[in-house]
Amino acid sequence: MRVSIEQRLERPRWLVVAVPVGSVVAAFLIAAVVLAATGHDPISTYKQLFQAGFLQQGSLTQTLSMATPLAFTGLAAAAAFRMKLYNIGAEGQMYMGTVLGAGAGLYFGGRGGPSVFVIGAMVIGGAVGGAGWALIPGILRAFFKASEILTSLLLNYVAGLLLTYLIFESESYWRQTTGFNATVFPTGKPLPSSAIWPKWVLGVQGGLTLPLGAFFAVACALVLWVAYRRTRFGFEVQVAGDSERAARYAGVRMRRKVLAVMALSGGIAGIGGASYVGDFSHSLDGDPNGLQKLGYGYTGIVVAALGRYNPFAVVLIAFLLGGLDNAGNTLQGANFPAGLVGVVQGIILFSVLGGELLSRYRVRATGRPKPTAGANRGPAKLEPTNSGPLETSGRPAPEVLA
Amino acid sequence: MKRAKRCLTAVGSLTAMVASLLVGATAPAAQAAAPYKAAWIYVGPHNDGGWSQAQNDGRLYVQKMLGNRVETTYKENIAVGTQFSQTVASLSAQGYKMIFATSYGYVTPQIAAQYPNIKFEQATGTLVSKNVSEYFGAAEDTVFLSGMAAGAASKTGKIGFVVAYPIPEVIRHTNAFALGAQLTHPGATVRIVWTHSWFDPAGERKAAQSLYSAGVDVLGQNVDSPATGQFAESVGVPWVGYDSDSSQFGPKSWLTASVYHWGPYELQQIKNAMAGKWKSGFYYGSIKDGFTSLAPFGPRVSAKTKALILTYEKKIENGTFYEFTGPLYDQHGKLRVRKGVRMQVLNGGTNSLYGMNWFVKGVIGNPNG
Amino acid sequence: MNNSLAVVLIASGVAYGTPLLFAALGELLAERSGVLNLGVEGMMLVGAVMGFWTVERVHVPGGLALALAMLVAALAGTVMASIHAFLVVTLRANQIVSGLALTIFAGAAGLSSYLGNDLNLADLPARHTFGPLLPKALQKLPIVGPVLFGQNILVYLSWVLVVVIGLYLSRTRPGLNVRAVGESPAAADTMGINVTAYRYAHTLAGGALAGVGGATITLALTPQWVSGITGGSGWIAVALVIFAFWRPALCLVGAYFFGALQAVAPELQARSISLGPTVLWTGALPYLMTVLVLVVAASGTARRRLGAPGALGTPYIREAR
Repeated sequence: MRVSIEQRLERPRWLVVAVPVGSVVAAFLIAAVVLAATGHDPISTYKQLFQAGFLQQGSLTQTLSMATPLAFTGLAAAAAFRMKLYNIGAEGQMYMGTVLGAGAGLYFGGRGGPSVFVIGAMVIGGAVGGAGWALIPGILRAFFKASEILTSLLLNYVAGLLLTYLIFESESYWRQTTGFNATVFPTGKPLPSSAIWPKWVLGVQGGLTLPLGAFFAVACALVLWVAYRRTRFGFEVQVAGDSERAARYAGVRMRRKVLAVMALSGGIAGIGGASYVGDFSHSLDGDPNGLQKLGYGYTGIVVAALGRYNPFAVVLIAFLLGGLDNAGNTLQGANFPAGLVGVVQGIILFSVLGGELLSRYRVRATGRPKPTAGANRGPAKLEPTNSGPLETSGRPAPEVLA
Repeated sequence: MKRAKRCLTAVGSLTAMVASLLVGATAPAAQAAAPYKAAWIYVGPHNDGGWSQAQNDGRLYVQKMLGNRVETTYKENIAVGTQFSQTVASLSAQGYKMIFATSYGYVTPQIAAQYPNIKFEQATGTLVSKNVSEYFGAAEDTVFLSGMAAGAASKTGKIGFVVAYPIPEVIRHTNAFALGAQLTHPGATVRIVWTHSWFDPAGERKAAQSLYSAGVDVLGQNVDSPATGQFAESVGVPWVGYDSDSSQFGPKSWLTASVYHWGPYELQQIKNAMAGKWKSGFYYGSIKDGFTSLAPFGPRVSAKTKALILTYEKKIENGTFYEFTGPLYDQHGKLRVRKGVRMQVLNGGTNSLYGMNWFVKGVIGNPNG
Repeated sequence: MNNSLAVVLIASGVAYGTPLLFAALGELLAERSGVLNLGVEGMMLVGAVMGFWTVERVHVPGGLALALAMLVAALAGTVMASIHAFLVVTLRANQIVSGLALTIFAGAAGLSSYLGNDLNLADLPARHTFGPLLPKALQKLPIVGPVLFGQNILVYLSWVLVVVIGLYLSRTRPGLNVRAVGESPAAADTMGINVTAYRYAHTLAGGALAGVGGATITLALTPQWVSGITGGSGWIAVALVIFAFWRPALCLVGAYFFGALQAVAPELQARSISLGPTVLWTGALPYLMTVLVLVVAASGTARRRLGAPGALGTPYIREAR
């Protein structure tokens, strides 16, 4: 007997919900076995996990502070991946967003303008920083056909060095240079109060703090959804993502699209950087043990993939993964090695990825293998379903947006 | 067989898990005498063989001394900023009363104000407030002594020193090291290479190798991994470590190292807190307090050098000697500290231990990185 | 002479480039079959920890222990790669996301760290290490001494591997088959080549070499284990494959170039040669140089003649033919 896998022509609606849920359940079951095998009680571990991530006093506030940057980097990845532009540079683009966002906050806040204006300047600064940094791999891809996967990744390291340089190794505009503390250890110049983003406190869990950035993330998701779903631009990006050849045939100007999508993607990551500065760090965080240690840009790719590039799903997944990160941090310690948290997260990712199969393909047991000979329409790379150098699945899933 | 048992356990717990989810959460068992809960937060892995490991040794010491009267835990690899606040929030929710934040920049005035009931003990900083204490130690004294060993071991007087970031803490240790080397080897120079990282075995090894190829015949370090020592061992060059006794990484090369003992201070502070007598302050431990010391000497330190180092250790301990006493010249030959003037920890701007941004005479390298 | 900047840089390039070379050769094999594996960093870390474990815990004579350690490291890398292979070849999952997930699962905050801590491997020097193989007299020869004769056996092994993989891909039937699978799986399938088997085999081989690369770090370069010891080498290895136009010999050149670039910053500092803000300049140099090479490599005739496997990153779905 042999198992054969067939692509589904139509995806039943229930599967779209059932599969991710089923995958997560499966992941928790597999992880439970791992936990038990390593001498940890899965029940109490999971209880702690949910407690720490979502239920316990103040946990949602912390989850939101982890989830907000993730939502931005997730949206950034989704915006680019949709066109099969694999921008994995959201990490560096976010750093550049913090640099220009903090710069705008320090400059305009220092002049005593109204807070709304200063915050607006920070958002624009962040977007410009991120978009500008993303345009480097964009231009290299559009005009030189250099793989944006690697150029964007390599530029993350460069952005990190620049960030550290501005605070640790130079007397830059961003560095605190007055006062004795400034000589003891390098820190960023604190933002003036008009550049600190407002928060709203809800009366749940002893005060749930909603950062302004979280609203901006939802707004970005909305903009992205409208841009990709309701405009000609979005349609063209969709076509270009499905098949570059078809897009060219339809008169889509590919170079412009590549640049626009990279700028959009980097811009969102950059606003995430501005939000990180305005909402949380309140100064440029150049500490190599700070922002650079958190890897929001990389986790954002996972967020985007799990959300299947749907902007609203991305925001939701960012919240869940933010909670998981938050909880993982709470769990780790003397009796729970940090590595186990990564293992459990990895299992969840693998399960969800594997579960995708079930929503895209029908698995059937067949008696005999199908004959291999048959109509071959030429090399796979020319096939519409397998287009692009890094196509990832048979179908790019436009129905998620539909 | 064991594995099969584990699997059975897993299946059993799964069933139990489902059951408990159906029944709902059960209340935790009441405890007789609640132990005092204190947490340590590390910037690296707890077993990095350097900074964070020394901190974890402090935690284990406290746990051992107080037994079941305290409950300690740690969080490792915690980033400065949002992740630290998240960690504090969860520790606070779990009832931890005291937090040892073992890296600069962890505790900010905002966090301190947000958790007025938590007693923060932060290593290496200067922020002291109602519920924040700062603590660190005069490692420059012991680094100076380890520099004496390096100077004595050098034939050419050319010594290499692997350093992390261009900040006053590292600069002061480099200066102390150079002054020590010059005491036992007049005119000795200390050549530095910045690694731009606190902990990077590969980068530290490269730094050590490049210093060696530039002609130094003794290596020292102000970074956390023992990679410098492993390189030194491979080329047969004497080596001075930092932070912990890592002689096992280069037994033939090992001279000594300046090490920290965080435990006794932390124990004292926890005891104070348990007795309700905790007060915030700025603590700067010394050899006398047992906060800093030299690791055991390796085979390459001669009896004569050992005796000399121990003499100076005594002198530093009883205050008759202090390495940062004028006249001190910077690397360009300019007089920085006048004759007879003793540098202070916090007062004196760039002429204080916490503000030093210049290298003493004989250090070859750029203090700005 | 042997301490001159040029000789030191080349010799360091060879030494520090070797783990990169192993990992890049492995990734090259996987990519030639059409499977992009971004989990190299994770596979290297697991190889690094398991290789180190073998040397610490298996008490046999030094040479045997080291050989065994490399086998165990290769096996560990293979096991990690099999997760990726199953997900992307059999289940046709997104290769980029699966590779990233593998790095999260196995990486510095995942399995490798768990294993290292659980097996108590931190803060120990390796009991046996790979040292220079040839006699001291040869190592003292000018230029060739440090560059060629001062290296350990893994370096020489990697040279053999470059030749073997080069010949395999260009001269043997399976080698030509794997290239066909990477270029056009549908065409290969019609020719009767088992696409799935080829992709599995080369992804697993890639994992084995990544594991060996990781163990090269913990047993030769910095012979100790600490969480995250590879410090991003896996990512550089992935970049190297493109840098090398998917050619084994160019992988070697690229790996040594990278190794040397990483030694530039400390070497210049140690020789008091200042080029301005060192951290920016010299730190960013390896990355910027790679970007530059990628651009040159990708543009114009170079790409047409030496391009990527046509079906790289693409799952093969027979029914969709």
